[in-house]
Amino acid sequence: MIKVDNVSMKFNLGMEAGSFKETFIALFDKKRRVSKQKNEFWALKNVSFEVKKGEVIGIIGSNGAGKSTLLKVISGVMKPTKGTVQTHGVISPMIELGAGFDPELTARENIYLNGAILGYSKKFLDEKFDEIVEFSELIDFLDVPIKNFSSGMIAKLAFSIATVVNPEILIVDEILSVGDIKFQDKSKNKMMSMINGGTTVLYVSHSLSTVKELCNRVIWIEHGEVVKIGKAKTVCDEYYKKQLG
Amino acid sequence: MTAIKNILGNFKRYSFLMKQLIVRDFKVKYKRSVLGVLWSILQPILMMTVMAIVFSQMFKFKVEGTNFLVYLMTGIIMFNYFSEASNLAMSSVVVNFSLINKVYIPKYIFPFAKCLFVGINFLLTLIPWLGIIVLSYFGLGQYTCHINIWYLLLPYVFICLFLFTLGIGLITACISVFLRDMFYIYGIILIIWNYMTPVFYSIEILPESLQTIFKLNPLYLYLTGARSIVLASARPSFTQMGMMLAYGVGTLIIGLLLFKKKQDKFIYYV
Repeated sequence: MIKVDNVSMKFNLGMEAGSFKETFIALFDKKRRVSKQKNEFWALKNVSFEVKKGEVIGIIGSNGAGKSTLLKVISGVMKPTKGTVQTHGVISPMIELGAGFDPELTARENIYLNGAILGYSKKFLDEKFDEIVEFSELIDFLDVPIKNFSSGMIAKLAFSIATVVNPEILIVDEILSVGDIKFQDKSKNKMMSMINGGTTVLYVSHSLSTVKELCNRVIWIEHGEVVKIGKAKTVCDEYYKKQLG
Repeated sequence: MTAIKNILGNFKRYSFLMKQLIVRDFKVKYKRSVLGVLWSILQPILMMTVMAIVFSQMFKFKVEGTNFLVYLMTGIIMFNYFSEASNLAMSSVVVNFSLINKVYIPKYIFPFAKCLFVGINFLLTLIPWLGIIVLSYFGLGQYTCHINIWYLLLPYVFICLFLFTLGIGLITACISVFLRDMFYIYGIILIIWNYMTPVFYSIEILPESLQTIFKLNPLYLYLTGARSIVLASARPSFTQMGMMLAYGVGTLIIGLLLFKKKQDKFIYYV
């Protein structure tokens, strides 16, 4: 279903264009030139793994370990510097909710705009419109510009739009903690029903208890490298020990 | 063959998104204004009135044997389309970075949607423009512009202009991702380009040698094409029409190739 083969991802930390003065000096003075290698940063190093259909994979690691980069590479937002990624099936990336919401537009208009960005068709959105509205609990605010929404309301709306599809591959970056307690519970149930429906899930989270509960296998990443892949409980416990022990 | 099929499939798949982006632009543009979309027609009317007064009354510009008002307006609306569309297209990729960074969307959609959005606005400005032409029958601007069969060729001219604009938009969008200075540079380029295009003067007032150079300007070709139809009721020559298409398609192809080659690197720079 997903095959990540030897993927490496390089960023140039020195991408910010230098000032005119710096650039000018560097032209003549070799010593002043910041070496290229110094500015290179490998966010992922030779990452390989395979995910089978219907599996729920957790991805854990400290901040900046490369988790989100990995998700972006898999969802096609970034092309890997080296290596290949193969995916089969419709991917629904929930890397950041509400991408492309326009604050000036109303909730109703944003449902269509955001839906279009996520690749839904007009027909599909027309059909599912009521379902989205009902799930988001925002029926009274449909014609209010979302710049007047609270962040919780925006997140609820975004989650409802993103989860209305039944994708074959679902990529989730820490979004189950959206909204109030009631909504959190609802969104967790929604995820569970998707998982039970046979969706392949890649799930990034810092909540080890949720990871243990939801996932079959866990990938532990540190400094862009895979530390361990294995049973959810074993890897999570080991990670916990390493971090706090 | 499969490549073409792929492109068309992609196009169909994202046409809804394109529509949504254009609708968004319209909604945001006229949010909280009382007159709303009416401004799309009203604004060019007012602008044309000002320009007409400035150039024909204050500066006493004229072009021999033609209705100067129609001459001026044709130039203005076409050049404004080019400058506004290519300018918006240039910033479209950078502005939408937060989207590009989160969801996979073919990036050419942003410049394309901008060129279409301004294009729709352009079509609306044709209404007051036609109004002036009709008024010329009633004595506005000395010479009458006769509506004639060659008007059917105007869409051809406009489509070529659109292709050219889109091509330039793709190129500038691409450059501006890597070099933000482009925003300022292009602003200056547009001003120079405006003066080098005979929008409010006739190319005949220039010295012979300069004329040859100025005639290489694609915008000159598009403006002249439309003007010969509207002012002289004459069909542009086949060479001219061929060149219009060649400039349009050629620029678009260069733009697309450059964009395609560089688009995977955008993400590191925006």
